Amino acid sequence: MQTKAFNRARTATILLLVSLFLSLGQTLPLQAQADATSTALPETTQCGHVSLQAMIDAAAPGDTLVIPAGTYHAPLLIDKPLTLEGQAWPVIQGDGSGDVILIEAPDVTVRGFVVRGTGISLDREDAGIRSTGANTVLENNRVEDALFGIYLQQAADSVVRGNTIRGMDLPISRRGDGLKVFYSPRTLIEANVMRDTRDAILWYSSYSIVRDNDFANGRYGLHMMQSDHHLIEHNIFRDNSVGIYVMYGNVFEMRQNLLDSNRGPSGYGIGLKEASDVLLEGNRIVNNRAGVYSDASPLQPETTVTYRNNLFAYNEIGLELLANTQRNRFQDNIMLDNGEQVNVAGGGDLMRNEWAVDGRGNYWSDYAGFDANGDAIGDLPYTSKSLFDSLLGARPELRLFQLSPASDALDLAAKAFPLFAPQARMSDPAPLTQPPALPPAPGMEAPPVAANLGVALAMILLACGVLAAGLRLDRRLPRILPRNSAAATATLSD
Amino acid sequence: MKIVWPIAQKELRDALHNRWFLLYTIAFIGLSLALSYMSLAGAGIAGFAGFGRTAASLINLVLLIIPLMALTVGAQSLAQEQEQGTLAYLLAQPVTRIEVFAGKYLGLALSLLASLGLGFGIAGVVLALASGAGSPLAYVSLVWQTFLLSLTMLSVGFLVSALTKRSGVAIGIGLFLWLTFVFLGDLGLMGTAITMRLPVEQLLWLSLLNPLQVFKMASILDINATLDLLGPAGIYAMQEYGEQLRGVFLALTAFWIVVPALAAYVRFHLRGDL
Repeated sequence: MQTKAFNRARTATILLLVSLFLSLGQTLPLQAQADATSTALPETTQCGHVSLQAMIDAAAPGDTLVIPAGTYHAPLLIDKPLTLEGQAWPVIQGDGSGDVILIEAPDVTVRGFVVRGTGISLDREDAGIRSTGANTVLENNRVEDALFGIYLQQAADSVVRGNTIRGMDLPISRRGDGLKVFYSPRTLIEANVMRDTRDAILWYSSYSIVRDNDFANGRYGLHMMQSDHHLIEHNIFRDNSVGIYVMYGNVFEMRQNLLDSNRGPSGYGIGLKEASDVLLEGNRIVNNRAGVYSDASPLQPETTVTYRNNLFAYNEIGLELLANTQRNRFQDNIMLDNGEQVNVAGGGDLMRNEWAVDGRGNYWSDYAGFDANGDAIGDLPYTSKSLFDSLLGARPELRLFQLSPASDALDLAAKAFPLFAPQARMSDPAPLTQPPALPPAPGMEAPPVAANLGVALAMILLACGVLAAGLRLDRRLPRILPRNSAAATATLSD
Repeated sequence: MKIVWPIAQKELRDALHNRWFLLYTIAFIGLSLALSYMSLAGAGIAGFAGFGRTAASLINLVLLIIPLMALTVGAQSLAQEQEQGTLAYLLAQPVTRIEVFAGKYLGLALSLLASLGLGFGIAGVVLALASGAGSPLAYVSLVWQTFLLSLTMLSVGFLVSALTKRSGVAIGIGLFLWLTFVFLGDLGLMGTAITMRLPVEQLLWLSLLNPLQVFKMASILDINATLDLLGPAGIYAMQEYGEQLRGVFLALTAFWIVVPALAAYVRFHLRGDL
């Protein structure tokens, strides 16, 4: 959509020094060359006698430069519309200070490079690739050992596609953002892989699309601030502190993302803070500290937050909503075995939300009602009124007793003596008795079956071995020991 | 010391004839199977099962049943044989009291291990075949922590047994202790925390007086690599002690295994009235 169409007819292609390319070992397999980049190559290819920067300076606007493998000095300044195509992963090696590639013109494309070695200044926000030009296209690059990976700074209508971004081995407080999109509306972020950085952040960059990415081991998988109209689909956010966090914005569609194992003291799969007009559909939100956290969302009057056909499974808390949450609509979601299905942070209730839409509610794995007329909708409402869960809303430190039989005993007592039963905090009037089908989502893996089976069988064998040892009583000492207590008693009473 | 193993073997053999022991073992196998089966229903919905939740249910089950099993067999160990007179018969043989005590402890510990191996093993087969298990390492560590828990309760049971003369009384005290460890202690602490507004570090350390809580936290730490499941107190523990927590848990468990067993032996050794 925002993909820049390039006028190839006007593009003059300059092939750099074929002879040099041959001398570098054209016959090397691609992988070997890629590996070689990690070792400290001497400054090899300066295009004969001309540095890469000089090539750029000499090129005419609109040219395409094809750059062969080799290591090139940074910083690189691109100040006119150009296309740079790396062949077999040429390396742009920074010297550990400042940016590595700086783009200051519109319509620049950088494709197929390894970019490494930025500075470590959080004040200057040293970046692997920084662009201040509109229509920048960054494709299939590997940004490594970078404080900030890719930084679009007022670069509207840009495309960031198929890049791999790896952060520095620093404590999280000293890392930079793997991807920072600042005042760059209509940006397309697609099929990138990001590891070990701080955040992927979109600030004041409305109408941007985030699709098919895999962001892991960071702080915020994706953070949007003061930014409206976003489509976020088919992404994987795993092992971050927070998967997706939305602060102050309107109109978000989140579809078929996987939010897995986003943990930490305030870990959420998805966090909504004063976000209005939000649709979450077909997401798999599993194994997070809290599946969704919501505070004052929606903020704008007349808007809603709609949850449709999502899976919330195995989170410590499925939905952690503040009592100020209203006009949230829940339909066809699966709430499966969350430690606590719904939590009202700070106490209170969630009655000003629609827990069923058009006579269809949600599937709750702990629903204990029945369905007499067989329409797959439970005849009793699902209510959340666990005494222990209510206590947790007010006294979160009691979560220490989670999984203890004592906490179950409290709930049992509340059921047996309704005097102690707390007020219902939410009620789904039409709970589903069958889980609805889910759309596919990326990134699901099966556990190692054979190893688990082996372990289990080994345990059984161990048990049988121990029992067999007990049954094979040592025959040398039959007279000292009674065969069993009964026999011995008989002996004594003789 | 040669005599320890035959005594342990005899104890194992007796355990197979002990109706309490068989009942608990069958209940444990049945319930762990049922739990894993239920968690697999979830796997059908989600496309995979989160072992975290299965493990959580297993931890809950272990907390309920294993202390009951270990306390009862421990409480019966010396008292019942004394009541039947077989203990006097045994001690009249050329064996020392430490050999008898160690043999009995070893035999009962092994029988608990066998019972755990069967329960977790059979449930593990079901989980593995249906792709419901997590990493094999997590499962093994859960079983190991459970075994340690059963040893702490066995030691406490031995102490009860050494202090009482009648098997019925010993079992009664054992059941009361079970109630205390499993329910009363935690409920009392919850009440105290609410009324006295205990700070999290005090709440954490008070709860760690209970070996069951130690087991629970150690298992969660092994499986999740963090205690954030346990809210502010868990997060406090992680930030304050970090990896040292494993050592703390192991030390507390070792204390609960060694001290009651030692006390039980001292009492057994000094006691002349068999």
